[in-house]
Amino acid sequence: MEKEYIKISDLNNYIKSLLDKDSFLNKIYLKGEISNFKNHTRGHLYFTLKDDTSRISAVMFQSSASKLTFAPEDGMNVLVEGRISAYPAQGTYQIYVDAMEVDGLGALYIEYEKLKKKLSTLGLFASDHKVPIPKFPERIGVITAPTGAAVRDIMSTIKRRYPLCEAILFPCLVQGEHAAADIVRQIKRADAYGVDTIIVGRGGGSIEDLWAFNEECVAYAIYECETPIISAVGHEIDWTIADFVADLRAPTPTGAAEMAVPTVIDINTLIDNYKIRLNKNIKNMVNTKFIKLRNLKNSYVLKNPLSLYEIKEQKLDNLIETLNKNIKNVLQDKDNKLNKIKLSVVLQNPYNLIKDKKIKFDLLLNTLKLVNPLGILDKGYSLVEKDGKIVKSNKDININDLIAIRLHEGKLKAEVKEITN
Amino acid sequence: MDMQKTFESALQELEVIVKELESGNVDLDNAINKYTEAMKLAKYCSEKLNNATEKVNKILTEDNELKEFKTE
Repeated sequence: MEKEYIKISDLNNYIKSLLDKDSFLNKIYLKGEISNFKNHTRGHLYFTLKDDTSRISAVMFQSSASKLTFAPEDGMNVLVEGRISAYPAQGTYQIYVDAMEVDGLGALYIEYEKLKKKLSTLGLFASDHKVPIPKFPERIGVITAPTGAAVRDIMSTIKRRYPLCEAILFPCLVQGEHAAADIVRQIKRADAYGVDTIIVGRGGGSIEDLWAFNEECVAYAIYECETPIISAVGHEIDWTIADFVADLRAPTPTGAAEMAVPTVIDINTLIDNYKIRLNKNIKNMVNTKFIKLRNLKNSYVLKNPLSLYEIKEQKLDNLIETLNKNIKNVLQDKDNKLNKIKLSVVLQNPYNLIKDKKIKFDLLLNTLKLVNPLGILDKGYSLVEKDGKIVKSNKDININDLIAIRLHEGKLKAEVKEITN
Repeated sequence: MDMQKTFESALQELEVIVKELESGNVDLDNAINKYTEAMKLAKYCSEKLNNATEKVNKILTEDNELKEFKTE
């Protein structure tokens, strides 16, 4: 039989068609760790998924990659959903990823970060919402599991430091799916019961163990709690959402009790200190007043009452002297003014006043002469009048009219013989 | 003095008087009265603190019953 050679591309395409027909491979869920992660500039992601013994190439196109809620990176454990197909050009098969999420702890961590960011934006961590913890509480509500190290540490520390304070346990679940709701319920109960401070918390554990304290409902219960609240979840390094919302965060349950109550020794020291300050103060005050009193008693006036009069006498003399001096000054002043007036130029030369007026009068008279209409006759001109009116034109005159002629000296009467132009 | 006063309010009152006297704005008669009052408060606080019967730890049950709680 003749051997039939086929092309590689035909083979690869044939294999691809086989894979694409397989319904199991068309929708597959895969779990693995990311390695060789490459984020192509066009937005497609290329990486390898591997477990302890095997690996498979993976591609996630930009349309799916854009829906990711986290940034994938090497070493991350993920859960993916996709289909298996071949890439004929390379002769490889790979998984085409449609969706991917972080597996296990990573997923919780991402959820934690998301909630933290959200609640922070909503103002649940705002420092101005936090209230101070009472210094000397009489009753503390403790919300934690009734067994284990946490409750023992909190209760015994309160008792040891400050036996005046009553500690009331509000027992609750601190892990598992019902824990969050139970914590919320007990926070509300303690808030309503009437305690000075609330401690809510639990001992250390894995992130899943502490998870209830990262739940949104617990965060809101703490935020809405009227009573000052101290959180104490796990160890120093564990920061839960509850820690951010609480009025005060304690590193450990024992730490919470230490923050909640003072020690008897501290208060005794404080009271002693107050007493010392009081004694010192009252002693100083009495001393000061005593010295003041002694100084007053020793004052010259009290020892020599007559000196009071001496002082007054002297003062009177001073006043009289000042008065005399002042009156003299006033008189002198008036006298000076009078002399000044007497010596003034006008009073000394009254003629000057008249001379001035005379010159002014002559000047006015001359001006008057200049403007007198009759003044012009001086120069040889004459005025012609008819019926008492000055004649300006021959049109006002008829032959045989009687006219009067006014000269510089005297008047003439005349009869008109002829009129010419 | 009112013997029903809580420890905390007595201690606070004491602190207020100490600061008031230290401010120097009190006349002598008043100061002596305040001093006497403050000393009484200090004694009251010390006594209450040192003679206090130790409070037992409690647990509030689901039936709203307050019972003694013993840690192991």
